[in-house]
Amino acid sequence: MSNKVLNIDGERISGQDVRNQNVTAVTAISNIVKTSFGPIGLDKMLVDNIGDVTITNDGATILKMLEVEHPAAKVLVQLADLQDQEVGDGTTSVVILAAELLKRANELVQRKIHPTVIISGYRIACTEAIKYINEFLAQSVDSLSKDFVINIAKTSMSSKIIGDDSDFFSKIVVEAMNRVKSIDYKGDVKYPVNAINILKAHGKSAKESTLVEGYALNCTVASEGMPKRVQGAKIAFLDFNLQKTKMKLGQKVVVTNVNDLEAIRDRENDIVKERIQLIIKSGANVVLTTKGIDDLCLKYFVEAGAMAVRRCKKEDLKRIAKACGGTVLITLNNLEGEESFDPSCLGQADEVVQERIADDELIVVKNSNKKSASIILRGANSLMLDEMERSLHDSLCIVKRTLESGTVVPGGGAVESALSIYLDNFAATMGSRKQLAISEFAESLLVIPKQLAVNAALDATDLVAKLRSYHHAAQTDASKKSFSYSGLDLNNGKVRNNIEAGVLEPAVAKVKCIKFATEAAITILRIDDMITLFPKEKGGEDDGHGH
Amino acid sequence: MNSPVFVLNTNAKRENQKEAQQGIFLAVKAVASIIKTCLGPQAMLKMILDPMGTTVVTNDGNAILREIDVTHPAAKSIIELSRAQDENVGDGTTSVVILASEILASSEIFLEKKIHPRFIIKAFRMALDDALAIVDQYSLKIDTKNRTELLKVIQSCIGTKFISKWGDLMCGIALDAVQTVHIQDPSDSSRNEIDIKRYAKVEKIPGGDITDCKVIRGVMLNKDVTHPKMKRMIKNPRIILLDCALEYKKGESDTMVDITNEDDFAALLKIEEEYVQKICEDIIKLKPDLVFTEKGVSDLAQHWFVKKGITCLRRLKKTENNRIARVSGATIVSRPDELQESDVGTECGLFEIRKIGDEYFTFLEECKNPKACTILLRGASKDILNEVERNLTDAMNVARNIVLDPRLVPGGGAIEMALSQALIEKSKSIEDLHQLPYKALAQSLECIPRILAQNCGANTVKLLTELRAKHATNPSENYTFGVDGEKGTVVDMKELGIWDTHAVKVQTLKTSIESACTMLRVDHIASAVSKQ
Repeated sequence: MSNKVLNIDGERISGQDVRNQNVTAVTAISNIVKTSFGPIGLDKMLVDNIGDVTITNDGATILKMLEVEHPAAKVLVQLADLQDQEVGDGTTSVVILAAELLKRANELVQRKIHPTVIISGYRIACTEAIKYINEFLAQSVDSLSKDFVINIAKTSMSSKIIGDDSDFFSKIVVEAMNRVKSIDYKGDVKYPVNAINILKAHGKSAKESTLVEGYALNCTVASEGMPKRVQGAKIAFLDFNLQKTKMKLGQKVVVTNVNDLEAIRDRENDIVKERIQLIIKSGANVVLTTKGIDDLCLKYFVEAGAMAVRRCKKEDLKRIAKACGGTVLITLNNLEGEESFDPSCLGQADEVVQERIADDELIVVKNSNKKSASIILRGANSLMLDEMERSLHDSLCIVKRTLESGTVVPGGGAVESALSIYLDNFAATMGSRKQLAISEFAESLLVIPKQLAVNAALDATDLVAKLRSYHHAAQTDASKKSFSYSGLDLNNGKVRNNIEAGVLEPAVAKVKCIKFATEAAITILRIDDMITLFPKEKGGEDDGHGH
Repeated sequence: MNSPVFVLNTNAKRENQKEAQQGIFLAVKAVASIIKTCLGPQAMLKMILDPMGTTVVTNDGNAILREIDVTHPAAKSIIELSRAQDENVGDGTTSVVILASEILASSEIFLEKKIHPRFIIKAFRMALDDALAIVDQYSLKIDTKNRTELLKVIQSCIGTKFISKWGDLMCGIALDAVQTVHIQDPSDSSRNEIDIKRYAKVEKIPGGDITDCKVIRGVMLNKDVTHPKMKRMIKNPRIILLDCALEYKKGESDTMVDITNEDDFAALLKIEEEYVQKICEDIIKLKPDLVFTEKGVSDLAQHWFVKKGITCLRRLKKTENNRIARVSGATIVSRPDELQESDVGTECGLFEIRKIGDEYFTFLEECKNPKACTILLRGASKDILNEVERNLTDAMNVARNIVLDPRLVPGGGAIEMALSQALIEKSKSIEDLHQLPYKALAQSLECIPRILAQNCGANTVKLLTELRAKHATNPSENYTFGVDGEKGTVVDMKELGIWDTHAVKVQTLKTSIESACTMLRVDHIASAVSKQ
């Protein structure tokens, strides 16, 4: 055994064995997520050791929650996570593609082609593919009808739990996105997904989810005596306690005059009172703070008819402040060392209201000017709500990418088939061994339309062949150029023009997906030796130091 | 390659498509079978022994399922439905679980026939949309001002519960309580606030008889006066509410006093005394009859109050204080030196301390415009009282729903049968694969009248066929025919006066169908990483 020679306390696998093992592991991972792929994919139910249940269709979430042990498989888990962070959607397809690339590379290696040749072949194929997408397949959004964004959102939702209500949710997503649209200092248009707050409340049905024109907070007013509805709100945002003042750091005050003690006590109460009066005097009628408000301070707000909300989340507060044009104050001290409250720090909102949803209450800051949006999700139970939230988040990300990048490609396996044909032809022009690698790359891409068809219980071989013939025609015959947008129609088992049908994906997502999958496959392909050290025995008898 | 590759943790349990789906069906059916017998007027109670050894006796679906410890993930999610239903509408917690399980079961044959769950889900969604439209069509509006009408609705909800024997009394209580706490926004009539959780407090005192239960249009507290010499009955009291202590309290900052001579020590004590005296004087200045505080009251302060004939109660809960503020019109004050005339509450008509059983209870009654109330429940034992409280909460929720949305649908399984008939009729016009699951869902709605019939021991097949025939002959007229859950006959719900609220029925349909769809989408169960 090799480990005898090397004298390592572990196991060593090398050469073809390790490649086989890696491929098996990666295929296993892709098999797990495969059935959740595409509009006809199903969900996975995951149960953790406490018994908490998650039902999801999102590749990244599934992989994150599984106990993956194999190192190569872990690479794929990270890959899905990366795709999730970078694009937000397409996590399943990236895993499937990487696994397929690796499988085919391994076959080539078995035919005695050196991995480095395959790697450089894959690299070339990847670059060519991306070039081709950008030059021929990507459509500028300007050339499309107005509702293309809605179609994008719909496509990304189609595989999810909200797929059947995609008409309804895609409108919410697009509207929310448009509300938070902002232009940064460079003049670029930004769509911050984080600015959209998604709240969940169980009960009612999914279709009763609503978009709130403003920001919803999962808090209640601090005291029952306060108004539950303030119109023409002027909002103060505080990030400090409104409590009896207490000296920090355990300082002790030593007094010699007995009456001073009383003065200290009074002062403790008065400091906060003065602060509150400063705030109220500035015209604020809604006070939001991230910290607490003492019960004894509430009365001042109640008397002034102001609404005070305590323990808001800091991120929430920052976003509301941004949307309402206010400033979050950490202290009332000004530069002169005195306390003051500048009315310009107040934010404006049309209405702040406490609303009852199911058994809970929430505060809604309504604002007719844009820049903030909240989506309140309703559904039968929390499992469903969590999954709805994940799906909505994916859609929001996709819409954001599309709007920011401005190009789209047809979905439903159209890009993959087109690339496959193109790369096949391209491979033929290469006079070296790389040719084989490139044509395998081309073949691997077909896994996407194949899997889509398989999940939809359609004849994959037949459909993919048809699809390829369309794309072949598109690339050879100039008159049939429009065929290059052909993709699968999974509900009817046909091939159709997916740009016209409104099955769209942002080009960035596709490009990144291919790039990441190639990189991951290359990383794993480069491995020719794996050494697993046995875990050190804890509390072993003698560690050799002889104490 | 000779050694197997371990990709996932080998201890992790995984179930693939077939196993997973079957597991879900079994689990959901098991949950439903537990509470099946809790539906309808002939429902039986369940006794549940929790790990702590206390017993719960109830027929409230939510209360039963809450106590049961299940392991299967699907069963957990079904149990959650009942909670969601409880939080949203407060009634129909049993039927939602039964319906969800029945709908899932109806889809089983399609999975066996290898129809993709997606088609089933699509069909179910279509059916849900149609069903909601039909419920709207069959619902009828009532006048919320008409008390007898309202009482009838609540009666049919209570009919299935333990307290049905005292139906009239309980209905009255539920309706009174809800109408008391109902606040309509004067500027916007669509904004109604009915906060049962906060302002309609249920107080349970074991002993006496259930017929002694009543609504107090005011507040009742389990408290006695702090000093025996204080007055125990005051008419039209002036009330002050405080949330600060009436005793000397040290400051927040760490302070230390260096005392060098004896006089200073005496002075220090004097300051403490004077402080209490001062705050008492601040209060006494306003001539209150009653002082409530959330914190403590020192002996010295009690002394001052007794001298001035002021009654004082201490250590109230925040929620109690809020309710008193609402009935008496007082503002809760945190610093006595800031008391003003406007903070004093004068709207309460009578303050009285009564002895019930072994304990003293404070009553604030005869309020002019109470926006809060207390429901006083009496009964033989704690278990009974708990069950009465659960039933009453359901009844109050029904009352709230009806005030907020005054639409009714016929009960006793009538609306389900009508829906089932209408949907079956509609399914005939569906051309594609969706037809079968659509029809199956329609048929599974019959489970409600079926179980009602089962629970009262009627001949299920005969009764159901009779009912179906009735609905089929003239759907637009006979839609009110349902099962009389006591006699086990087919009757017109219009005559029997059994109505359900529209809100509850709609919520039941939505929740059960949507959750069935969620379950159907699952094809794989795996154990996930431990959360650490």
